[in-house]
Amino acid sequence: MRRRKKENMGSAARVGNSSYDYSFKVLLIGDSGVGKSSLLLSFISNSDSIHHLSPTIGVDFKIKLFTIGGKRLKLTIWDTAGQERFGTVISSYYRGAHGIILVYDVTRRETFTNLVDIWAKEVELYSTNHDCIKILVGNKVDKEGERAVTKEEGMALAQEHRCLFLECSAKTRENVQQCFNDLTLKILEVPGLREKGYVVVKRQKQKKSQSDSCCS
Amino acid sequence: MNERQEDDRSNSIATLDSRFSQTLRNVQGLLKGRSMPGKILLSRWSDSPDDTNSPNYKRSFSHSDAGTSDHTSGEEEEEFQSTSKPIGITSAIKLRISTSLGESPPEEVRKSAVGARATDSARVMKFTKVLSATVVTLDKLRELAWSGVPDNMRPKVWRLLLGYEPPNSDRREGVLRRKRLEYLDYIAQYYDIADTDRSDDEVNMLRQIAVDCPRTVPDVPFFQQQQVQKSLERILYAWAIRHPASGYVQGINDLVTPFLVVYLSEYLEGGIDNWSMSDLSPDKIANIEADCYWCLSKLLDGMQDHYTFAQPGIQRLVFKLKELVRRINEPVSRHIEDQGLEFLQFAFRWFNCLLIREIPFHLITRLWDTYLAEGDALPDFLVYIFASFLLMWSDKLQKLDFQELVMFLQHLPTQNWNHQELEVVLSRAFMWHSMFNDSPSHLAG
Repeated sequence: MRRRKKENMGSAARVGNSSYDYSFKVLLIGDSGVGKSSLLLSFISNSDSIHHLSPTIGVDFKIKLFTIGGKRLKLTIWDTAGQERFGTVISSYYRGAHGIILVYDVTRRETFTNLVDIWAKEVELYSTNHDCIKILVGNKVDKEGERAVTKEEGMALAQEHRCLFLECSAKTRENVQQCFNDLTLKILEVPGLREKGYVVVKRQKQKKSQSDSCCS
Repeated sequence: MNERQEDDRSNSIATLDSRFSQTLRNVQGLLKGRSMPGKILLSRWSDSPDDTNSPNYKRSFSHSDAGTSDHTSGEEEEEFQSTSKPIGITSAIKLRISTSLGESPPEEVRKSAVGARATDSARVMKFTKVLSATVVTLDKLRELAWSGVPDNMRPKVWRLLLGYEPPNSDRREGVLRRKRLEYLDYIAQYYDIADTDRSDDEVNMLRQIAVDCPRTVPDVPFFQQQQVQKSLERILYAWAIRHPASGYVQGINDLVTPFLVVYLSEYLEGGIDNWSMSDLSPDKIANIEADCYWCLSKLLDGMQDHYTFAQPGIQRLVFKLKELVRRINEPVSRHIEDQGLEFLQFAFRWFNCLLIREIPFHLITRLWDTYLAEGDALPDFLVYIFASFLLMWSDKLQKLDFQELVMFLQHLPTQNWNHQELEVVLSRAFMWHSMFNDSPSHLAG
């Protein structure tokens, strides 16, 4: 039972066809209102307009297939609620994640400081892949006039926590694709993660029949 | 409902109607001879026998009596009638009900304005009678309200059901005046002050509320008006400060919106699309906000641990939901489990926002009529409503793998829902509640 759950939520997706070579789980975290859902929508859909979205409650979940460096990838992206109060629930979001995107709003300084005070600690606590890739993302650079966190500060924090770093805008879509590209390329560079995400249909079938027989 | 209207509802919805009426017949069959602790439940469906044109359910009966029902429903009915002894329902029968009911997919549910029941003249008269009494009998009001409240009576009915407006008409004016002043006092004391006079936690909470208000029900343009968002902010902040055990939790912003729409409807003409807050005097806005504040408070008093840290109340109900679904429809339950999908991953939001995110906004007030009529029993009844809601797609769900399930459940195809679909959800919830609520083996957690 437990094994099967892991399979589904983590690396090896259960699919009939093998239209992709790797399947990775990515998690979006950060304060509420920094634009996690917007960033995701901007990445998933090709529409130019990002409207107001309702605050995420619990978790939202989206899938994107794309090709990078000649590899066909499937990303399942878990978009979490920004208000941290879900305790035990949240650990299931982190389980088996290959990549984590930490988002802040460049116009709201507290969303930046909370990344250190709250979110980095949470990653430390719940993350099960200890070599998982993190990327720090400063969103809303389209509001340059309201900027409250400099790019240098962002870079310094990223370095300190050994994260990748980018500034982007979900609204204008500037750097949005780049953010996911950088993250997945880096995941592919880490043998431990790459192997966990490698999709071998045959192996999964065996696993599945094993667990079926032991459960029934 | 007169004959002509009945004819208008052409054969195309006969399938649904017959199934729907079957549900109700099943309920009646099950209830026959059964002692029900909650008398309200029984009488909801059979108001008074002489009233032939009021409840939809009656009409549905005659519809299928006229020969439109299919063969299987006849069979089922026999089985039910024969097993309707006190309490004892064999598990075989349970399974049968669940599978057969689970088979009506929403695709075949035709749009039809069944909400008309609430405005039906006989029902309106009943409401008028109950409401005009010197002391309103709340049990009677609950019975009536469970099946939907006429729009123009809703503000008052909700205030009464929530225990905000006293049932005794002599006291009514005085209590409302006092409560509304009390709210103004909270605003002066907590909201209309400088940030420097707030604690760090309070500043953070206000900030969180201010972030959420502009993105509350974003698909309804009315909520984009700045004054509406400001009202929301004041109500939520006052509530959060007055309820320090939980404080503001995301999703509570959604819960204010039905109240706001209903209390605005006392002062603004026409539909929500044409409303403008700037047409209202500050006094009126203050009254509306106060009513929303108190109603929200009363509603959430019954769910105190739903919004405290880690939201244990919601986790408990999600667990109950999982158990109930397993009893009603084992195949769906097993499929969900096999796929490794946890109920918490989709049903958390349902409980947190009371389904506001899941169905079209114009149906919410009707749904809430039933919520508020349930009163103290609401949290447990939510489990039945949500099971019924989930199982609207019982066939579809079994065809989806983990990822498809998550995606499907996060964007359920309810965009074109009308009152009819909602009534199906509620009537099945009612039926399952009657069947399962007294049996001891589940909900023991």
